[in-house]
Amino acid sequence: MKAKILLVDDSALARRAVRQMLESAGYDVAEAEDGMIGLERYFLEKPDLVLLDLVMKGMNGLDVLTKLQQLDATVRVIVVSADVQDSSREMAVAAGASGFLNKPVDRAGLLAAVAKALEGIA
Amino acid sequence: MKELTAVQQDALVELLNIGFGRAAASLSQLTGHRVLLEVPQVTLHDVADVGEALERVVQGHVASVHQIFTGPVAGDALLILDESGAAILKELLTNEPALPLAIDASAREVITEVGNILLNACLGTFGNLLKVQVSFSVPHLSIENVGAILESLLVAHQGIRYALVVHAGFRLRDTQVTGYMMIVLSVASLDRLIRAVEDWEHTQY
Repeated sequence: MKAKILLVDDSALARRAVRQMLESAGYDVAEAEDGMIGLERYFLEKPDLVLLDLVMKGMNGLDVLTKLQQLDATVRVIVVSADVQDSSREMAVAAGASGFLNKPVDRAGLLAAVAKALEGIA
Repeated sequence: MKELTAVQQDALVELLNIGFGRAAASLSQLTGHRVLLEVPQVTLHDVADVGEALERVVQGHVASVHQIFTGPVAGDALLILDESGAAILKELLTNEPALPLAIDASAREVITEVGNILLNACLGTFGNLLKVQVSFSVPHLSIENVGAILESLLVAHQGIRYALVVHAGFRLRDTQVTGYMMIVLSVASLDRLIRAVEDWEHTQY
């Protein structure tokens, strides 16, 4: 069965670029354009993995990550952000992210991070 | 008026070179074109003169992506492109034809995300080097003349007297895309930035 991945990013360009990379590698992809919709879609779509932007209108990515963790302790999240600060990466990992990628993402790096995050899922 | 010493100016330009260089690398990765970057310019101005200083760099109707950054060092970061450059950048990133007269919704989306990536790459690199955490606002795209952009900056900074204006021009080789990255800081932030830059400089040698 194909793994399903939810993209939560307020940039349609970023969602489109990542969707193309993931679909070309055989993944199912769902999208949300902000954090609140991302939370709703997470429970509707039940994805295996969430790719989450940090700076978004409304709820920011770290708040979304914390909320997801509270509602589902098994959630797997990779943060995908333009923020290149080491401290932001550390905060995301401390909040429970299983990976952190900087934009613009390259296909090989994205697919490697996704495969690693999905390890153990049948 | 407060002035930067030659040593401070030199250290600041070196730091900016690294930050803008990181941003240029991101832009090159996005577009597939080599990015030619000018040496960053650092100037300190009375707030009332910032407009004049910016208009010496860019004029007329432009697309600008504005992000406010906060933390120990705070200010405004801008990516500025002329309209034709913005349209061509959209074409490069979407393979949709550039429209000559208007920046359409697709172009707005592209320019906003490109601005987000470039400004974060630049300021985030400063944050890493200076060991300060910087938080970013959601990027805001405006299509207007330079004067209107300045008004929005100055309204947001009521009460400050001096501003550090940093800019670097860039060009995508083999295209007509040219633009500027610009940072405007209050002097309170400037003092903290200078201290952090001096600390950073001491770790380099």
